[in-house]
Amino acid sequence: MKIAVGLSIMDKTRQVPLLWLLQLSDTALPIGLLNHSFGLENLAVEESLSSDGLEAFLFEYLEEIGSFENYFCGAAYRLGIAGRDRFPVEQWLDLNSQFSAFKLARESRSASATLGRRFLRLVNGLVESPILAAAVAAAQETETDIHHCTAFGLAGTALGIDEESTLLAYSHQSLANLISACQRLLPLGQTQATRMLWELKPFLVELVRRAQENDFDVDEAACFAPLIEVSSMRHPTLPTRLFIS
Amino acid sequence: MAIQLSNANTTRETSTFNHAESTPRIHGRLRLRFEARGDRNQTILAESEQQAPLRIVRAFQLDDGGSLVHLHNLSGGVLGGDHLDLTVEVGPGAVAQVTSTGATRIYRSGKNAEAAQQRCQIKVEGDGLIEYLPDQLIPFAGSHYRQETHIELGANAGLFWWETVAPGREAHNEMFAYELLQLKTSIRVLGNPIALEHMRIEPASRSIFSLARLGAYAYFSTFYICRAGIGSSRWSELERLLVELAEQLSRPSKTVWGVSPLRAHGIVVRALSVSGSEIARHLPDFWRAAKLFLYDREAVLPRKVY
Repeated sequence: MKIAVGLSIMDKTRQVPLLWLLQLSDTALPIGLLNHSFGLENLAVEESLSSDGLEAFLFEYLEEIGSFENYFCGAAYRLGIAGRDRFPVEQWLDLNSQFSAFKLARESRSASATLGRRFLRLVNGLVESPILAAAVAAAQETETDIHHCTAFGLAGTALGIDEESTLLAYSHQSLANLISACQRLLPLGQTQATRMLWELKPFLVELVRRAQENDFDVDEAACFAPLIEVSSMRHPTLPTRLFIS
Repeated sequence: MAIQLSNANTTRETSTFNHAESTPRIHGRLRLRFEARGDRNQTILAESEQQAPLRIVRAFQLDDGGSLVHLHNLSGGVLGGDHLDLTVEVGPGAVAQVTSTGATRIYRSGKNAEAAQQRCQIKVEGDGLIEYLPDQLIPFAGSHYRQETHIELGANAGLFWWETVAPGREAHNEMFAYELLQLKTSIRVLGNPIALEHMRIEPASRSIFSLARLGAYAYFSTFYICRAGIGSSRWSELERLLVELAEQLSRPSKTVWGVSPLRAHGIVVRALSVSGSEIARHLPDFWRAAKLFLYDREAVLPRKVY
């Protein structure tokens, strides 16, 4: 049974969107989040990524890649807001094409696109939303890759979740997923991992605030992470891999 | 070569660096147009507009019919507040090779000087090819530099473009002593973006040595290999060749090479190294392999002295 998303539901049960958000940002959501390391596996093998200094590394990762994705997540969210009545399909596709072009490493690009496609279809199967339906249809029709960050942002609007919460949930699940990948790659215990995720939360808030201050203008979004990109490019050549290439 | 001092219209994107905000110290311009002429498929430099400090001396004919020019900066480098605009148009079927006479030196910005800015727009029309092969970019201590490079490819148009960024004047022990290096790139095929980059590097405020950025490496380089309209199976073949080369050349902690297909119409090669010479030595290996594969022609490094 699909739930119709509308004001009546929002009015009656304001808490439900929060529960939706918690579910959609769970790393166990069945879209395959845990299959990808986004270059980290190669970093661990070739470039001495280790548990020591991991928190500092994650901080820098978020400052570059996390921040960059926030802009696209937020821009997608606002496309949904602007287009409740008439969703701007062309802008939606352009936004995703731009994100694809920014992701130079195929492995990271296709991981993001796989997650985005699955996420959007999953949510579209759970709720009745004209915006999500239009977004899915346009992507299928034009064979445009839809990315996880943009799909998440758009789902936030479609489900009536506020902008800041949507962005925070997206960035939090991204970080949780990275830490989970590190737990499988490195000698990193549960307590250490939990503490790391805890300690980095204020920085996630700060990064969302910065992107909001720039109105999620994707022309302003910058990212300098060449070693992670090269690691992602080199990942398929590793003789043994825990994660998908 | 017919040199024309005309106000020819060129395709321009709106700069995000706000050229009009303040009066630049120097506003250099260079516009070049290459065209294919005659039955022997020779490319000539058909038009050239020059405003110091940017200039070229002349075009040289290449053995394969292409035309080679060397970019000069009469200032010896890019000074704080300089605004430099380079526009290159390659007409239908023309083949142009553009290189520099030496490293692009980005000098220290004076007190209160705005960032130096260089904007490069390249348009390659149908069946044309550009090989844009500049020397290293070296940002000196205290420099502020913003660069935009926008490349538009028409049907079956090709591109070989590399760019290598040094950490500074290594021999002067000026490693990552610059203030700001901002590099924006767009490559589009018939208007659709196939590669976009926006790097903003501020070594004083963000740890350059983090594994999230350069790690132990000091030099980084990007080499774009594009030809509009080539199908994905051909790109996969070329990718296999280049990945093999990358594996042969990579020595983690010294130099690593990565290869990836773009979302369409091309491949990108990325290199990170502790040594600039290591990158300079092997970039041509990727170029040779790719040019032979895509054009069945030999890649010949541009001569620097005639």
